[in-house]
Amino acid sequence: MSTLDRRPGQAGVLPAERREELCRQWYEEHGRAIYSFLRFQLDSADEADDLTAEVFLRAVRSVERFDPARGTARSWLFRIAQNVRRDHGRRERRRRQVSLTAFRDLRADAPSPEERLLWEEEVGRLLAALAELPEGDRELVSLRYGSGLSTAEAAEVLGVREPAVRTRLWRALGRLRKVLHR
Amino acid sequence: MNEPPDDFRELERTLGAIRFEPRASLGPEIAGRVGEQPPAGGDPGRRPRFRRAALAAAAAIAAAAVVLAPGGPLRSGPERVTVDRCCYDLDGGGEADDGVLIEAERDDRVHRLRVYEDRDRSSDYSAGDLLRLDRGAELALQGHGLEGLVTIERCCLDFDGGGPSDDGLLVLGVPPDRVVMAAIYERRDSPGGGTWGAPLR
Repeated sequence: MSTLDRRPGQAGVLPAERREELCRQWYEEHGRAIYSFLRFQLDSADEADDLTAEVFLRAVRSVERFDPARGTARSWLFRIAQNVRRDHGRRERRRRQVSLTAFRDLRADAPSPEERLLWEEEVGRLLAALAELPEGDRELVSLRYGSGLSTAEAAEVLGVREPAVRTRLWRALGRLRKVLHR
Repeated sequence: MNEPPDDFRELERTLGAIRFEPRASLGPEIAGRVGEQPPAGGDPGRRPRFRRAALAAAAAIAAAAVVLAPGGPLRSGPERVTVDRCCYDLDGGGEADDGVLIEAERDDRVHRLRVYEDRDRSSDYSAGDLLRLDRGAELALQGHGLEGLVTIERCCLDFDGGGPSDDGLLVLGVPPDRVVMAAIYERRDSPGGGTWGAPLR
């Protein structure tokens, strides 16, 4: 049983040490997925660092309100990430272009520096195109491909039915392809 | 539609191959910040240096406002209020589990309006609730495809902190889960009954 699989308020107000322990556990289980979800929608690794921190800090500070009967911890964390990302979008100007030097966090199995550079260019082109899509498309594509969520998991995060997620996903990919071919 | 159309497969493969890796020190760094006090009304994830810079800037702006204000110092602007109303069926899902969070000038202009699904059943907005719509001061339809659009209306409550329960909430959405527009208005009784000609905010 995960530490999160408990009723809200069951443990009362948690002491600071317990919150820190929970934070470590959540980050270990979901940190990379949350980071990738955000990173797909942000310009730089630094921004993704900041917002990932914000997601986990918000979560750990309001853990008493998490209700496992309403969904999994993972989907709760993703919803917090959605809200953090939207708040950030209100504060920052929308991305116009992606700097190629921003990819210090991109994993690549490219055998040569030239291939690594080509892959960075390809990723930059894709993320710049993604940034031109409506918010709902960006979130869905980031959940599915950035974080690797199944369509069922994405449906739970977005609070919609799975068939609707599939339909929206194909539409989003269609719009993404149009932008790429412009 | 269970499988992607064939011509999306290459795009899917490329997107699926992108892998980002957070720096190794990020997790321990976040855990070490759990004990920090979140800034009031601020951004709890920001690093202290950003908060200090923001506070310094805010202090400078406040000082300038006092110095430059015509007619004397400390002339206050319109009072800002935040109103959180829950729980109604605002997305057409059939369950009264949605709320609206409104930041406005008291009895006046709306600055931000959010429609949320109250996932944790706390009867107010909280971090993990699902946002169905998040708009600023400007009214606009959000999202693509308006087929099946319906209206959902709640009247009358105090949605803008003005005091009397004389405001209505108008939501446009596509059931069971999409909200594309939400606005409040002040009730105006028309001779034919109902409200007519009330500006949306």
